[in-house]
Amino acid sequence: MKAAVRIQLEDFSQDEEIAALKASSKRMGGIATFLGCARDFSEEREVAEISFDAYGSMALSEMNKLRSDAIARFNLLDARIVHRIGTVKGGDNIVFIAAGAEHRVAALDACRWMIDELKQRVPIWKKEITAQGESWVVPHP
Amino acid sequence: MIQVLFFGPVADRVGSRALQADHRCGMSLQSLHDEVSALYPQAFALVCFVAINGEQVRDMSQLLEDNNEVAFMSKFSGG
Repeated sequence: MKAAVRIQLEDFSQDEEIAALKASSKRMGGIATFLGCARDFSEEREVAEISFDAYGSMALSEMNKLRSDAIARFNLLDARIVHRIGTVKGGDNIVFIAAGAEHRVAALDACRWMIDELKQRVPIWKKEITAQGESWVVPHP
Repeated sequence: MIQVLFFGPVADRVGSRALQADHRCGMSLQSLHDEVSALYPQAFALVCFVAINGEQVRDMSQLLEDNNEVAFMSKFSGG
C-alpha cells in the first residue's frame, strides 16, 4: 500500500486514496476530501503550465506532522495527503487531502484545516508559466 | 561548513540553490543571515522563514553547529 503522505511527480488516483483510507477502519462514517487543481487562467493571463519547487525533506516531514496533528486535533480515524511536484498543465491534479472520521463534522473540519495549514506550513512553491513569462505565485489567503 | 539552501523565488534571485559558508564557533543564525543577505539583498527581501536541518526556527539568536543545513525561504505557495 502507498504511504499515507507522499510528494510525487506522477498523478494520483482519488479512488485509490479513498479506498486506502476506508481500509484503515470500518468505524469511518464520514470522509471529506479536497482536490486542488491547476488553473489555466490567473491574474488576467492564460497559464500554460505550473511548475513546483520544494524543500523535499522538510515538506514531507511537515506533511507527516500535519497529518498527525489533524488526527489528534479532530479525533480522525485516518487521513491522507498527496502533493505533486514537477510540472503540471491546466486541469491537472495538484494536491489531494482526505480525512476520515466517525462523523461528518470532524471529517469536513479536518479537511479544511489541513489544506489551510498545508499552505502555511509546507515548503512548496509554485511558478506560473505564461506566454508573457514566468512568475512565482504570491500566496492567496 | 554550513550548507545554505534556497528554493523557488529566492533561489531564482540568488542564481543558485545552495552555497557553503564557513562555520565559526559561536556563530548565530542571525549572523549567517546578515552575511548572506548582504551578498543577495534582493533575494533576502523575499525571505520570511528560516529552517535549520529541516525544522523551522524563529529564534535568530540560535547558535549554528558545524554541518548544519540552513534554508532561507519565501512564503510558501503550495496546494
